[in-house]
Amino acid sequence: MAEAVVSSSYAPAAERRTVRRVTWVMLAALVVVPWIEPDKFVLHVLSLIAIASIVAMGLQLLLGGSGQLSIGQAAFYGIGAYTSALLTTQLGVPFPLALIAAGVVAAIASLLMVPITRLTGAYLAVATLGFSILVYLLIKNEEWLTGGSYGFIGIPRPVLFGYVLRDAMYAYYLCVGVAALVYLVFARIDGTRFGRAINAIRQDADAATASGLPVTLLKSQCFVIAAFVAGLAGSLYAHEVRYLAPNDFTFWKSIEILIMVVIGGVGSLPGAILGAAVVVGLPEILREIGDYRMLVFGGILMATMLFGEGGLAALFAALGRYGCSLWKRLALRSPTSARDAGR
Amino acid sequence: MAGIGFAQLIDLLVGGLAIGCVYSLVALGFAMIMRATSIIHFAQGEVMMLGCMCGLTSLWLLPTLPLPLVLAVGMVSSGLIAVGMELAVYRTLRRRRVPIMNVITATVGMSILCINASRIIWGSEPLRFPELFATDAYVFAGVRISPQLFWIMVMGLAIMAALQLFLKHTRTGIAMQAVAQDPETAQLMGANLTRMMAYTFAISGMMAGAAGVMLGSMFFAFFEMGFITGVKGFIAATLGGLGSIAGAMLGGILFGLIETFSTVFLSSAYKDGIGMILLIAILLVLPSGLVGLWQKRS
Amino acid sequence: MSAADLFEAQSATRLFGGVRAVDGVDLSVRRGSVHGLIGPNGAGKTTLLNLIAGVFPLSAGALHFAGNDITRDSTAERARSGIRRTFQNLKLFLEMTALDNVAIGLHADTRCGFLAAVLRTPRQQREEADIVERAMQALLFVGLGGFAHVRASTLAYGHRRLLEIARAIVAAPQLLLLDEPAAGLNATESAHVTELIGRLRDRGATIILVEHHMDVVMSVCDEITVLNHGRRLAHGTPAAIQDDPAVIEAYLGRSVEDDRARD
Repeated sequence: MAEAVVSSSYAPAAERRTVRRVTWVMLAALVVVPWIEPDKFVLHVLSLIAIASIVAMGLQLLLGGSGQLSIGQAAFYGIGAYTSALLTTQLGVPFPLALIAAGVVAAIASLLMVPITRLTGAYLAVATLGFSILVYLLIKNEEWLTGGSYGFIGIPRPVLFGYVLRDAMYAYYLCVGVAALVYLVFARIDGTRFGRAINAIRQDADAATASGLPVTLLKSQCFVIAAFVAGLAGSLYAHEVRYLAPNDFTFWKSIEILIMVVIGGVGSLPGAILGAAVVVGLPEILREIGDYRMLVFGGILMATMLFGEGGLAALFAALGRYGCSLWKRLALRSPTSARDAGR
Repeated sequence: MAGIGFAQLIDLLVGGLAIGCVYSLVALGFAMIMRATSIIHFAQGEVMMLGCMCGLTSLWLLPTLPLPLVLAVGMVSSGLIAVGMELAVYRTLRRRRVPIMNVITATVGMSILCINASRIIWGSEPLRFPELFATDAYVFAGVRISPQLFWIMVMGLAIMAALQLFLKHTRTGIAMQAVAQDPETAQLMGANLTRMMAYTFAISGMMAGAAGVMLGSMFFAFFEMGFITGVKGFIAATLGGLGSIAGAMLGGILFGLIETFSTVFLSSAYKDGIGMILLIAILLVLPSGLVGLWQKRS
Repeated sequence: MSAADLFEAQSATRLFGGVRAVDGVDLSVRRGSVHGLIGPNGAGKTTLLNLIAGVFPLSAGALHFAGNDITRDSTAERARSGIRRTFQNLKLFLEMTALDNVAIGLHADTRCGFLAAVLRTPRQQREEADIVERAMQALLFVGLGGFAHVRASTLAYGHRRLLEIARAIVAAPQLLLLDEPAAGLNATESAHVTELIGRLRDRGATIILVEHHMDVVMSVCDEITVLNHGRRLAHGTPAAIQDDPAVIEAYLGRSVEDDRARD
């Protein structure tokens, strides 16, 4: 898998420090964005990117972590979205509870998949695909529950501590906040028993078994965790766009999520966020792509597989390293230091 | 089961067999590629779709083209497309010995490219095939059969029989089998691995192309038709036993029948769901498929 | 099975299609001994080792370990019961550091999961420190102390073999299965592995050793079982094996009488 894993405990200490500093800078920048560019639409897109990155990070745990290719994450995304929508509109459940419930329900649904985690490689992928299609059929056909193809309308805005988050800025902080939380949680498992075990399974499941690791249990745990965060993202999505249709949760959505992880760099957590930014943000920036969107992404997917597995994360890491060495060389050659040397 | 008349039973049977032949052809493609490369070719459904589109285009250009030639056009174009995929992408990935997950992801990418290329070229509206078959039902021993379904069955079985003959009785076919079973030894015996791999993709492409033209003429052609049929072809191949040619043929027919007869009990909205449940069940319970079960018994 | 035996295989048999890779083999391994498993190529040594490790099930026969019937246990279950192994073709986690590779060996001994990892509870931190310390000790024991934070993929072949052993011994397994630990090693490295096995035995480890390097086998094994064509040909002390005419014939392909006649 990807050689250049950006934020892993295997990178040299100096690199890890830099990544941590960059992370804090990015977080600070994200907090400040609404003050610089308060345009509602921009904030809306950024919120969607944050939401997408949550699902992508879940898949990153599955694929880049434990090595399980799932092309059915959209199912849990959808389950979370509809659960949250139903709870808030039909049962008057307060938003924070609905958010958590969305994640929990998605996680429970993923328990149905636990027998599937025995499978490996493409077989697992196809099984997740089958599951995802089943969920899509349920969403589309059970109109009494989901509104089917007519859609689910009238989803309220998120409500926190009694305040309706009417302003795009507050919705933005909510989405980015949850995304940041998910990122921090996933980043924490590096360098721990759980993180090591997950990586071991990906690199050599047989050797992991021979060392006594409960491989299927660990793989299932990853599935449930990924489903939970996908459910959270689904809830955020539902209350952000406030309208749900089955077409938002097809196989193609699952593929989009895969594309985010691959473009960003399999094995890299920040890569998942970069990938989400590209997949969600690029079509907005380049309106002309529109129809050609999937074509471009398909092409990028293939190109990444053929040429640069590490994806954008590896690219940025390489650029960063190059930049640092360039900086050092320039600093040595600067006129002031030559003058000092001359004295 | 009250209310199923004999005529309806025959309809279901013939319909199931016909669609089963289509699934078998797609499944064969999966099986052959799986045997030779150990990957699941996610773009196989798209190869089928492109064959269908090319066949349809040839009918637009030459409206009097007889059915066998349309089929041939579909098969040849699909075969070429599949070989193109192999030469342009898959071979490079194999040579680089990339992890299998990457190859699978690449086939997914290929699938996306094909679907969207098709949408751009042929549009997103479903396209009807012109009438290729007689409309009056054939009557065999008092039983009425739709000519379209009849001929699809016949052609499907003929193509599969031709494939079996090719694999068992021609030098190239036998060489392909050898390469699939043991590449190193086959190479020592003089088989050209690259060419055999190309042939494998070509033939599985041709199977898919035939399936595409048949399916298109049964329903209609559109850019996403390869997706769900591709998944079903995979289900059929898994049911029969992935990697087994005979299993793919058997699995396809069987799955076609199961799916068609299930519409008696279930609403058609969930028809695709049958396949998904069957898929997961097979993967969990009987991963080596029916062929595996047969082998264990003997 | 006598009280002194830690492990016993009774009539172990494994069929692959029609081939009897292992055919009714009996094996008894005394606690605290190093038991060698040798034989010409294709004799079934690695297959037998894989059967003991649980890679595939027995076609017939039974396996007993520490008084329990483990015939139906999975690989992971056996590993957790105290049977660890190395692999003939090395199965290291190449993207991880040497220390992390060894730390995996301690997974079954420890408990902190996802939540504890995220919250970094005091228990998790204690456990992690303990893991690191024990892993370091294992690395020092095999002689890789200076390579703890080096990525496994950058290690030389000889060091990779040692790392594989370190991972297998870190949890102090009751039974250690070594599958050709000296394969591909030069004389110095082989000697180091031999000495390492000796030190393990001195600490009370019970080891089953599959090996082709005769100098390693003869110098460190307490008892040897010879396999040929999947069947047990002979067993006994190294000295007895070396003089056994059947063994010589199996390895050299001619009988001792032929040799004498020629001279």
